[in-house]
Amino acid sequence: MPEHSRRNVLKSGGAAAAAVMAPLPDGPRPVTAPHQVRQAAQPKAVTDLTLEVNGERHRLEGVEARVTLLDALRERAGLTGAKKGCDRGECGACTVLADGRRIKACLTLAVMQDGRSITTVEGLARGERLHPVQEAFIRRDAFQCGICTPGQIMSAVACIEEGHTGSEDEIREWMSGNLCRCSCYPNIVDAVADAAKAVR
Amino acid sequence: MNTDVVGRPLSRVESRLKVTGAAEYTADVRVPRLLHGFMAMSTIARGRITRIDTRAAEAAGGVVAVYTHETMPRLKQPTYRPFFKPFIPIQSPEIHHAGQPVAFVVAQTLEQAQRAAELVEVEYEETGRPLGELAMGVPFLAPSGPDGPNTFERGDVAEGMARADVRVEAEFTIPMHHHNPIEPHATTAVWKGSKVTVYETTQALGNTQHVVSEALDVPLDDVRVISRYLGGGFGSKGPVWAHTVLACAAARAVGRPVKLVLSRAHMFTSNGHRAETHQRIGIGATRDGRITALDHVSTQQVTRGDVALFNSSEPIRMLYDIPHLSNVQRTVRLDLPTQSFIRSPEACSSHAQEAALDELAHALKLDPVELRKRNWSSRNMADGEEWGSNYLRECYDRAAAKFGWSRRDPRPGSMRDGGELVGWGMATSAHTAGGRPGSGARMTFDVRGRARIQVGTHDLGTGTYTIMTQIAGEVLGIPVEDVLFELGDSAFPLSYASGASTTAPGVGTAVNRVCSAARKAVIEMAVSQPGSPLRGVPAERVDTGDGHLFDTADRRTRVSYRSVIGHGGKPLHFEVEPVDTPLGYSTGAVFVEVRVDPLLGRIRVTRVVGCYDPGTVLNRKTARSQVLGGIIWGIGFTLFEHTLVDPATARIVNPNLSGYLIPVNADVPDIQVQFIDRPDPASDALGARGFGETPMTGVTAAIANAVFHATGKRVRDLPLTQDKLL
Repeated sequence: MPEHSRRNVLKSGGAAAAAVMAPLPDGPRPVTAPHQVRQAAQPKAVTDLTLEVNGERHRLEGVEARVTLLDALRERAGLTGAKKGCDRGECGACTVLADGRRIKACLTLAVMQDGRSITTVEGLARGERLHPVQEAFIRRDAFQCGICTPGQIMSAVACIEEGHTGSEDEIREWMSGNLCRCSCYPNIVDAVADAAKAVR
Repeated sequence: MNTDVVGRPLSRVESRLKVTGAAEYTADVRVPRLLHGFMAMSTIARGRITRIDTRAAEAAGGVVAVYTHETMPRLKQPTYRPFFKPFIPIQSPEIHHAGQPVAFVVAQTLEQAQRAAELVEVEYEETGRPLGELAMGVPFLAPSGPDGPNTFERGDVAEGMARADVRVEAEFTIPMHHHNPIEPHATTAVWKGSKVTVYETTQALGNTQHVVSEALDVPLDDVRVISRYLGGGFGSKGPVWAHTVLACAAARAVGRPVKLVLSRAHMFTSNGHRAETHQRIGIGATRDGRITALDHVSTQQVTRGDVALFNSSEPIRMLYDIPHLSNVQRTVRLDLPTQSFIRSPEACSSHAQEAALDELAHALKLDPVELRKRNWSSRNMADGEEWGSNYLRECYDRAAAKFGWSRRDPRPGSMRDGGELVGWGMATSAHTAGGRPGSGARMTFDVRGRARIQVGTHDLGTGTYTIMTQIAGEVLGIPVEDVLFELGDSAFPLSYASGASTTAPGVGTAVNRVCSAARKAVIEMAVSQPGSPLRGVPAERVDTGDGHLFDTADRRTRVSYRSVIGHGGKPLHFEVEPVDTPLGYSTGAVFVEVRVDPLLGRIRVTRVVGCYDPGTVLNRKTARSQVLGGIIWGIGFTLFEHTLVDPATARIVNPNLSGYLIPVNADVPDIQVQFIDRPDPASDALGARGFGETPMTGVTAAIANAVFHATGKRVRDLPLTQDKLL
C-alpha cells in the first residue's frame, strides 16, 4: 500500500479535473438548466479504504480523497461519537486515537489513515463497564453540554498514556488542545488526575 | 417530603450517554435519503447582487440544487419574536452585512455541497462605505420597544451629584463577542407530505416551531421540533435564525431531507453576537460612602434594519440603593449582522458599574466591600418591590473570609511575589432570573410506581434533565431511579425558551405542580382504597418518601406507590398549564487574584473565590459547574475575547477559534465556590431561583479592579491585552 501524505493526496485529487456528474438515484435535477456548463475542477480520486475502528473492520467504498477522517467516521461509518466543532483543528472535539496516538480527525484525510487502527469514544467501554476516564468524567462532572466530551475523553486517555499527569499544571497544559466552552476545565483536571491513578 | 433528594450532588442522569458518544445531538441524527446543505456567503457588507452565476456549482459532482435569491422559494418574514433578523436572506439581491447567505447548495455529500458553494459566482454593486465600528456611527435614542424603555430616571441626578462629596466619571468599551458553543448550529428538516419534523439545535422549541410555521406557511401543529441534546448555546440558539428557515425551505423544494450544519465561520455572521458597547458612567457619593447619584449612558450597535438592544441595564437600575439615577441606552446603526443576547447580557453594564465603584472606593479611601454593603438594597430598585430573599451581604462576608480579603493592603502596587505584581479585586455578581412565562408539564405514573414526565424544554448542559428528575423525586417521594424526565420535543407541553435563567424556576415550578397533583391524587386513592393500610387515615396526615405513602402519626402504617396505583390497575395521567414565574434576582460576590508580569504586561488570573445566593441549590454538583463556567467566561471576556471587524470593509476578520480566543484549560486558576443555599419564598420551584447567568457578572470588573490594585493602571477598554498595560 502506498503511503499517502496530505500533500500528495490533495495534489492527485486536484489534478483530476474532469467534471463528473454523480448519479442522482432519486433526487431531482438541478433547478436551472445546465446550459453551456463550464468545466469545474472536481476532485475525482475516489478510493476504497479500510479502517479498523474500535476493533471492527469498516470497509468504506468510493471515498473521495478530500473526505476527512472525521467525516468518514461520522457520515459514512455511522460513528457520530467524534464531534465536529470547527473543522480546523482548533477545538479538539474530534480527537480520536490512531494507532494509539491522539489526533484531530478533522485534520487528516480518511485515505491517509487507510489500514490504521482508530479508537473513538464509542470504543472505550468494555460492554457495560466504562473506562476509568469515562467513570471519572461522570463522577467529577467534567462536562455540561457534553459536545466536547468525546474529544476530551480521548485526549485524556492519551494524556495519561503519555505520562503527562504528573501535576495539575501538567494536566492543564497537556489538555489545552481541547476546548470546553461550558468551561468545565477544573473538573476535567480532577477527572484526569483521578483516572490516571485508577489506570496505574 | 424527602429532603435529601434536592440539593444532592447527583451525577447527571444522562452522563453515561455523553461519555460513550451515544447521546444523539442534532448533527448526529441519521435520516434515510439525507442530502447535505451548505451556504455561500456574501463578501461585501453593503450593496446588492448584480449577477449570480450558479452554472459551475450546479455542474459540480453530486449537486442536487443551488438556490439563489432568484430561485429560492418565497418565504414570509416572520413577525414572531425572537426572529430578530429584519430580513430573510436569499430572498432579494440586497446585501445588509458581510457573511450574509447568498446561495444555498444541496448535494449528495457534505464535501460536494461545500465545494459547490465555493463555485457560486457573485458580482456585487456596493452602495456606499459600510460602517463596522461603533465610533463611526451616529448615536440616537431609539423609542421603547419590546425590550422596554431605553431611558430610566429616578430622582434628580443633578441634585444627587450636587450633594456628593466625591465624584468619579469613567468610560468603558467592550468589543463584539461571539457565543461560540462548540456544537455548530444545525438543522435537519424532514418533510412528510405537508408536515415537517425539524431536528434543530435550539434553546427554544416553541420559537422554532412558530417561526418555521410562519415563514413557510405551514400550520403550527404540522411543525414538530426535536432537540434532545444541545451542545451548548449560551443564547445563540435562543432566537430562531434564518438558516433554519432556509434549510426547511430547501428540503421542501428538493423533496428530500436536508441537513445543514453551519461552519465555524458562518457562526460569526448567522446567529447573533454581543454588540460592541461604549459606556459612560458617573457616580457621586458622600464622604461616608453613601451613593447619592449615578448617571449612565450606554451606546451599542444595532443594524440598519432593527433597533433591538440586548446589553441591558438592569444592574444600574435595580441593584444598589441609589436615590438619584439616570440611565440612557443609545444605539448606533452599523452594517453588521443582527446582534442578540449572549450569556449574561447584564455583564456589560455590570462591568461599568462595578469597575466605577472600585474607582469610587479608591477615591473615598473606603474598602470596596464596605462601599457595596453601605449601598445594598433588599428591594428591586427599579420598581421598589422587595425581593423574595436576598443574602448578598452574607455572600460578601463569606467570600471575603474564604479569600483572605482582610490581609489586603489597599495601596496599588503594594503586593508582590518575586518579579510579579499581585492584585486583589472584587465585585458584586447579580443577574435577573425568571420573570417570564412558565412551562407546562405532563406526567404519567405507571402501575409500577414510576413517573414519566415530559416537558418541551431544553438541556444546554445546564443540568435540566438532572435537576427536574430530582425535583420530581423530592416532591413525589420516590427514588430518582423511578423518574424518567424527557425533554426536547415540541410535542410535549412547552416551556419558555431556555434563556434568561428561566428554566430552573419555570420548568421547576411546572414539575413541582404536576408532581404535587399526582402525589395528592395517589394519597386520595390510598386513604380510600379497600384493603389499603392507609384506608381511613386523613389525607393531610399522609406523607411520602422512599416510594411509599405513610401515616405521619405511625410511620409503620405505609403502602407503596406501586401498590396503590397497581391496585387501580391503570396508569395515572396528569398535566399542568403554564403559570408565569416571578422575577428573581440571584446575587453573589466574587473575589479575584491576578498576577501581572510588569515587563510583559501579561495578566494571569491565579485565584477566584465566589459565594452566591441562588435560593435553594437543586444540585450542588451541577450548580457548581455552572458557576465555574460563568467565572471562566468572565476570564475570557476580560482577557481575550474580541471579534475584530475590519473598519474598511465591515468584515469580521477572526471568524475562527484560533483568532477568537476562548479560555483553554491552562488559563484556568484555582476556583472556589460557595452557596448560601436558602430557599427563596417567592419561588414555587422548591425555593430555587434562576441562577445560570449570575456567576459571570462581576468577574470582569473584579479582574480589572485586581489589575488596578496590582499595577495602579485603570484599563477601561476590554479585553485587557498585554499592549494596554505597557
